[in-house]
Amino acid sequence: MKLSEFIRPATLAEARKALRALGPKGMPLAGGTALHFMQGKTPVTAVDVTRLGLSYIRQKGNYFVIGAATPLSDIQRYRGPRWAMHEICRRISTHQIRNVSTIGGNIARVFPWADLPVVLLAMDARLVIYSGKEKEMTADEYFSAQPARLFRGGDLLTAVKIPVLKAHHGFGSVKVTRNAAAFSLATVAALLELKDGVIKAARVAAGSAIPFPQRLKPVEAALVGKEAVTAVFKEAAAAAGAAAKWVGGEGMSADYIRQLAEVSILDALERAAEFARGRAE
Amino acid sequence: MKRHEKARNFKQVNTSVTKIDALQLALGKDSYVADFVPNDALIIKMLWSPHAHARIKKLDVSKAEKMPGVKAVLWYGNVPRIAHCTAGQGFPEPSPYDTFMFDKKVRFVGDRVAAVAAETEEQALAALEVIKVEYELLKPVFTLDEAMAPGAPVIHDEAEAHVPIPIPYEPKKNLVAHVACEAGSFEAGLKQADFKFDHTYETPYAQHCPIEPYTSLAQIAPSGRIHITTSTQVPFHCRRIVAKTLDVPVQKIRVVKPRIGGGFGCKQEILLDDVTAMFALRTGRACLWQFNREETFRTGRTRHPFRIRLQAGVKKDGTITAINMEAINNTGAYGGHGLTVVSCAGSKVLPLYHCENIKFDGKSYYTNLPVAGAYRGFGATQAFFAMESLMDQMAEAIGMDPMKFRQINHIREGEGSPIFAALGEGREGTPMTVGSNALAECIVQGAEAIKWQDRKDWRGKTGRYRRGMGMACLMQGSSIPDIDMGAASIKINDDGSFNLLVGATDLGTGSDTVLAQIAAEELETATDKMIVYSSDTDLTPFDVGAYASSTTYLSGEAVRKAAADAKRQILHTGAEMLGLPVEQVRCEDSAVISADDKHRVTYGDIAKYSLYQKNQYQIIGTASHITKKSPPPFAAHFAEIEVDTWTGFIKVLNYVSTIDCGTAVNPQLAEGQTEGGTLNGISYALTEEYLFDRDGKMQNASFADYHIYSMRDRPPLNIILVPSYEDTGPFGAKSVSEVSINGAAPVFANALYNATGARVREFPLTPERVLKAIKAAEKK
Repeated sequence: MKLSEFIRPATLAEARKALRALGPKGMPLAGGTALHFMQGKTPVTAVDVTRLGLSYIRQKGNYFVIGAATPLSDIQRYRGPRWAMHEICRRISTHQIRNVSTIGGNIARVFPWADLPVVLLAMDARLVIYSGKEKEMTADEYFSAQPARLFRGGDLLTAVKIPVLKAHHGFGSVKVTRNAAAFSLATVAALLELKDGVIKAARVAAGSAIPFPQRLKPVEAALVGKEAVTAVFKEAAAAAGAAAKWVGGEGMSADYIRQLAEVSILDALERAAEFARGRAE
Repeated sequence: MKRHEKARNFKQVNTSVTKIDALQLALGKDSYVADFVPNDALIIKMLWSPHAHARIKKLDVSKAEKMPGVKAVLWYGNVPRIAHCTAGQGFPEPSPYDTFMFDKKVRFVGDRVAAVAAETEEQALAALEVIKVEYELLKPVFTLDEAMAPGAPVIHDEAEAHVPIPIPYEPKKNLVAHVACEAGSFEAGLKQADFKFDHTYETPYAQHCPIEPYTSLAQIAPSGRIHITTSTQVPFHCRRIVAKTLDVPVQKIRVVKPRIGGGFGCKQEILLDDVTAMFALRTGRACLWQFNREETFRTGRTRHPFRIRLQAGVKKDGTITAINMEAINNTGAYGGHGLTVVSCAGSKVLPLYHCENIKFDGKSYYTNLPVAGAYRGFGATQAFFAMESLMDQMAEAIGMDPMKFRQINHIREGEGSPIFAALGEGREGTPMTVGSNALAECIVQGAEAIKWQDRKDWRGKTGRYRRGMGMACLMQGSSIPDIDMGAASIKINDDGSFNLLVGATDLGTGSDTVLAQIAAEELETATDKMIVYSSDTDLTPFDVGAYASSTTYLSGEAVRKAAADAKRQILHTGAEMLGLPVEQVRCEDSAVISADDKHRVTYGDIAKYSLYQKNQYQIIGTASHITKKSPPPFAAHFAEIEVDTWTGFIKVLNYVSTIDCGTAVNPQLAEGQTEGGTLNGISYALTEEYLFDRDGKMQNASFADYHIYSMRDRPPLNIILVPSYEDTGPFGAKSVSEVSINGAAPVFANALYNATGARVREFPLTPERVLKAIKAAEKK
């Protein structure tokens, strides 16, 4: 992708106005790490969104609110009560990339290998979009298709709201890569709510090994109402085959990737259960 | 004093001085080719073949020539057609002359079609888009079986393809090279065996991945000569090959090698300089060509994939009675290094273990895939995977610990091997005995570091994560005897400093520092008195270049001899100044001192005297060196791994890499080479892979998709330098740079077997391949 101009608006309203005026010739730009992967020969005008006060992490009521322009390295370093986002963030790419790549950039355009959509789906996050005023939507709605549809007319993603996990809630994620800086072969995230050792609610999502990140509803269904034990997790993970279209990659077959995803689901569930029991806080 | 302890008395050698270019590089000073590009240089871009095998029926560059900013276009219609070899080897090369600057035929995806030089990169790229090419597609050859099949498509059907020396070459059969030898009788040896083995192994493609891609800058000097600044391992071969390809006299060309950002063998080829030089001649302008990463993967050189059939017999007492290695490599579309790499699969591997009946047959075939060339390890890496995997199997068959089996069989000091004499590089080898060998001690120290005594047969375990331990013994060579030559000159300056001029080529290895240490040791002065310049075909003496693990051993001895020559002159003038016979003075601490220690003149005094005062002359030493031996460095590698038997992922828990490189001239740099080579090998064994589509196009030509290790992937790595003393090398040194890459693949294969009973005979050990092997082993 080639850039012809670079605009630095001072406020959210100015940024929206500029993007609205530019239409398809404009593009919001934060860390810029996605440029490398974007084809397109027509140069575009970049609208810098890193100076709009959107880089922050705050706990507000039942949510952690993360500004859309917050770099992944800040999320990796942040610590809060029952905070789980640092684990996945420290596994994404390299230090150099994480210092510039933002949470908003990671999810405003969903690449097949993106990890954060998987985590946000499992965590039941809420997304805040500015269209002159702010509106919220669920991760399920936001990630139901490429989010580009939500940003027409210069609208911008401004924040990600992550529910503060309650007691008996547990979160676990698994990112499988060939080496430290590589894209994921499979990313899995799971949120479990336990009551007296029984799974009251479950959200399980996957990405990278499938064309677009999604929740694995058959896996979730196989968990609810059952005991949080390995045998149950295994049985639930086995439902993954039917839950999504697994695709091969990096020279490995779709069948292998499915097996890898099943093991990853099991691992994520074990981690989530351990978290819920209070050990991994 | 034990022989290997000799090195303790050295003052400059066996010391970890700081690399002499460290500060310059750390501060980001102009150092590399791209740092020297004038602002008005033309930018070169190449139109690469999208087809693996095709004839160009029509090529129209007329539109491109008229595009804005375009200064010249090169294609087969406007350049000389001269068959040559791009590999920078000895001369004449033991490789076919099968390459043309541009040709009417393309032989792999990434072959040259036409090139543009324009004012900007954008203009050059735009011009490439309007070049019209009509191809006649030919049936491609992608596997060794397809290449060898009767009636296979002929990749080099041009009349000019030939070999410059009498060696087997049959392009009509796609056969690039064939070499065979037998010592004793394999058949007779096999009959004596209690256990017989016959297995076939496959090794994969890989790229060297230097941080600095291929880069070449050509300019026309005011004198009209062509001045090439290039990222090369072989400046003198570059000059010779460019002269041939352009049909201009060698005299007209100057090649300068500045600092280099890594080579590992891939820059032992002339892949850019003929084009940059031709554009400079055509335009009179400075012309820059730099490969991007994708081009480095697709068009740059790679490691030869091998298929190796290994047969062997062993007696119950551990005697290896017979070995037969049949090695076939895929050299890709062009044949440089095809013969030498397959020869080294035998010559650098088979001498390691005692055996009286050894047979070797090596072949190299063309395919329509990326071109293979020199790569650290050079055939030995591939063959050691087979050999060291089979060593473990033989040990198991006779119920012996695999370490003990190696200990009773490995070659020792004073011993020879018929293979040394039988297999050379393009001709017979040189008979030799091993002069220095600390392999026994390498094994002992490595075993202790990995805790080999705790190793058990863990195949019966059933848990998800299983541990295993494996090992391998390795060797390489140091220079190519009777073929390679290095030379150096050294002259004194007013203040007692010295200019050391070498044709040897520091690629980032630290060889300039090592050579300075050797010169300083011989001259009894300090390393920081050396101003090293390498390499420049106008100014420095000849050297074949940085390859075949030769710089420290070969060029280092040339430097030592040149320094000894200068020292002789210093002693002569010092004695004259002191009014003493030369027998009564010695050199010490940058001065000439009388035997009774009462009188001294410093090197600075001697320089000023000899340059300005009396009987003036330039104190200058010069020397050349060829070697009669290629003393092997030895290594023993050990690893403990953890295998996830549900996913097939391998985690390296601990890796011990021992090495006997003779005297480590600079121990820290030797450790760096060993650690780098070992990691390079680990990455090759586990994660690096060329993935092709059905049309022979590499699919993962970027660092996002081709998984080479970064420092974050580095497992716990224990490097142990085990000293020995090689009498034929400078201050006891032999080579260090290649041998360490040979270990990881067989070590992991053996450890995987120890952990799970799964025996893999091909790599990389991708999780899917490992999982499949584990499941197959479980079924048994």
